[in-house]
Amino acid sequence: MENSGAQLAQEIQWIKRAQQGEPEAFGPLVQKYQQRVFSLVYHLVRRRDEVEDLAQEIFIKAFRAIRSYNFQSSFVTWLSRIATNHCYDYLRHERASRVSFYWQMGENSQQELESNAESQPAEALDHEEHAVLKDLVTKLLDRAPEKDREILVLKELEDYSVEEIAEILDLKPTTVKVRLHRARKRMLEDMRKWREEKQGHAM
Amino acid sequence: MRCDDIRNRLDDLWEGGESPELRAHLADCSACAGYHRDLRRVSSGFRLLSREDVVVPSVGFAERLVRQLGELGRAPSVAEFFERVGRRFVYATLALTFLTLLALALPSTGPVRGLSAADMPAQEAALAYSDPVAENGLQESPELAPVESPAPALPNEVK
Repeated sequence: MENSGAQLAQEIQWIKRAQQGEPEAFGPLVQKYQQRVFSLVYHLVRRRDEVEDLAQEIFIKAFRAIRSYNFQSSFVTWLSRIATNHCYDYLRHERASRVSFYWQMGENSQQELESNAESQPAEALDHEEHAVLKDLVTKLLDRAPEKDREILVLKELEDYSVEEIAEILDLKPTTVKVRLHRARKRMLEDMRKWREEKQGHAM
Repeated sequence: MRCDDIRNRLDDLWEGGESPELRAHLADCSACAGYHRDLRRVSSGFRLLSREDVVVPSVGFAERLVRQLGELGRAPSVAEFFERVGRRFVYATLALTFLTLLALALPSTGPVRGLSAADMPAQEAALAYSDPVAENGLQESPELAPVESPAPALPNEVK
C-alpha cells in the first residue's frame, strides 16, 4: 500500500514536470504505460505493423496535451482516451480508403470459418479451433459499428471496468452499461444475419 | 423461464451466469439453445482474443520517443504553424463571405424618405413645367426652366 502510494506520488511528480515541458520526465510515464497503450491500439486497430507508429503518435499527442491533464481521473484513463480517439481517427481514414478484411476474404474461406466455429462448443475446441473462434470474433468486431466496437474492446479485451470506460469515453456509467448491452445484442444478431446470408448464398 | 428472459439476461449470461432453470429451458427450446450457443462462442472468442499475445514495444521505444520529443520541443512545429495560419484563413474567409452576403442583401439606393419642405418649390416648378398651355414658353425661359432637385441630403451623412 505504502509502495503504491509512493509510486503514485512519483507519477504525479513526473506528470508535473512533463507539464512544465520536460520530455525526460515523460519518459518514465511512457515506460510505465507503453504496454497498455500497445495492447489497446492493437485491439482497436488489429494491424500489428501499425501499432508502434500509432503508439508513438499517441504519446507525442499526450505530451503536447499534458497541460490539460487535471488529475481528476487516473493518468492511464486519460491516456487511454487519447489512444482511443487517435485509433478512431486512424480507422476512419483507413476505412475510407480500403475494403475491410472480412469482405476481402473469399466466400469459401468465410464458409469454412463459420462452419468450423459452429461445429463444436467453445470449451472443446483445440488450438486450431481457438484460432478460428478468435477470427470469428475479430471479423464480427470488424463488421460492428464503431461505437459498439469501441466499448466491446475496452470491456472484453482491455478489461476496463464500467467506471473506467465511462471516464475514457466521457459517459455516465449507466450509459456505458446500456451501450455495452446493446453492443453485445447487436453482435449476436449480426452473427445470426451473417450465417443466414451465407446459407442464402450456399443455396 | 421464457424466451424473453434469456434475451433480457444477456449480460449475465455473457459473464458466465447459468442456472438450472436456464438449462431446463435450453433443453426444451431449440431457438434459445442456438442463441445461447452463439453467445457462448462469441464471449469465448473474446476471452481467447484478450489472452493472445499483443504487440510489444521494440527495445528503446521510450528512449527514442523522449529524444524525439526533445527535438520537437526545440524546432518550431510546422504543423502547428499551418494549423494556426489555416484557422485564421478560415475565419477571414467566413467574415468576408458574411460581409459580401450582407452587401448583396441591402438595397443599393440606400434609405428612401419623403419630400421635405425644402423640396416643395422645385416640385411646384416641375408642375408648372408640365402645364400644357405654357409648355413651349416655359421651356425657353431659363428662370422657369425645371430645376433638377438635388439629391436629398442624409441627416447623418459623413462629410
